[in-house]
Amino acid sequence: METIPENEIQTTTPPAERLAYSVQEAADMLGINYFTMYRLIQRQKLKTCRVLRGKLLVPRTELLQLLQTDLR
Amino acid sequence: MNYYERPTPLQEQVNAEAIQHFAEHLKQFKANCDALHNIEYNLPATANEAFRAALQSSGHIIQTDDGTQWQHAVDLTKITSVCHRRTEAGLEFAVVECLPLKSREMKDVLNSGHDVREVLQTFAHDQRQVFKVWKDDIAAQVREHLEEKYPHQDMSIVVESFEIKLARAISERPAQTQKQSHGVRI
Repeated sequence: METIPENEIQTTTPPAERLAYSVQEAADMLGINYFTMYRLIQRQKLKTCRVLRGKLLVPRTELLQLLQTDLR
Repeated sequence: MNYYERPTPLQEQVNAEAIQHFAEHLKQFKANCDALHNIEYNLPATANEAFRAALQSSGHIIQTDDGTQWQHAVDLTKITSVCHRRTEAGLEFAVVECLPLKSREMKDVLNSGHDVREVLQTFAHDQRQVFKVWKDDIAAQVREHLEEKYPHQDMSIVVESFEIKLARAISERPAQTQKQSHGVRI
C-alpha cells in the first residue's frame, strides 16, 4: 500500500461530502492559522461538536455559514 | 513523561513518533504562546503607546463589522491591534481583530473599555482561555491517534507528556524583547 507523505495530506482539500472537519482541516480550508481558528471557537463564532475522545469537530454547515456571512 | 512512572521503551518510541506526527501543532502552539508572552511582557509599554496615539488622535480609520469607527493605535499581532476612539464618556480603547477571509476582512472588536491597560489585560486573559481549548483538543487528538495506532496498549503516559509539554509552553516565558517605553504615565 502506498503511503502519502504528510505534507501532501495537509495540502489536500478535504472531500466535500464530509459532515465535519477537524479544527486543523477547517483552518486550512479557511486559510487561517490554528490559533485564529480556536479563537473563533472560543468566541462562539464557530460552533463545534466533540467526538468520543473529546476531539473538536467543526460541522460543515458552520463553515458554510461563516463563508456566507463572509460573502454578505 | 510524568515523574512517578518510568516509560517503557515502546512508550518512549511512541512518544517520539507522536511528537513528529503532531510537530506542526506543537510548533504553532509554541509560537503563539511566545507571542502572547511578549504581549504580556510589553503590556505597559503598549498601553503607553496606545494612550499616546489616542491623545494625538493619530492612526488610520478602521470600521468594524458593527459599524463603529476606530483609529488604529498599535499592532499586537498580524491580525489584532489596539484601537481608540473618542466618545461622550471619554477615550475608549479596543482590541480589534481584522481577519482576512476569502471575500473580505472580518473586523471584530474582541474587547473594549476606557482603561487601555485593562483592555490589554482582558485581551491577554482571553487569549489564555483559547490556549486551554487548543491544549485540550491537541491532547484529544493525540489520544485518538494513539488508540487507533496502538489499540491494546496503554499510551496514557504519552498523552500526559503532551499535556505537560503544552502546559509548560503556556506558563514558561521565553527570552523577552521589550519595547521602548517613552514614559507617558497613565
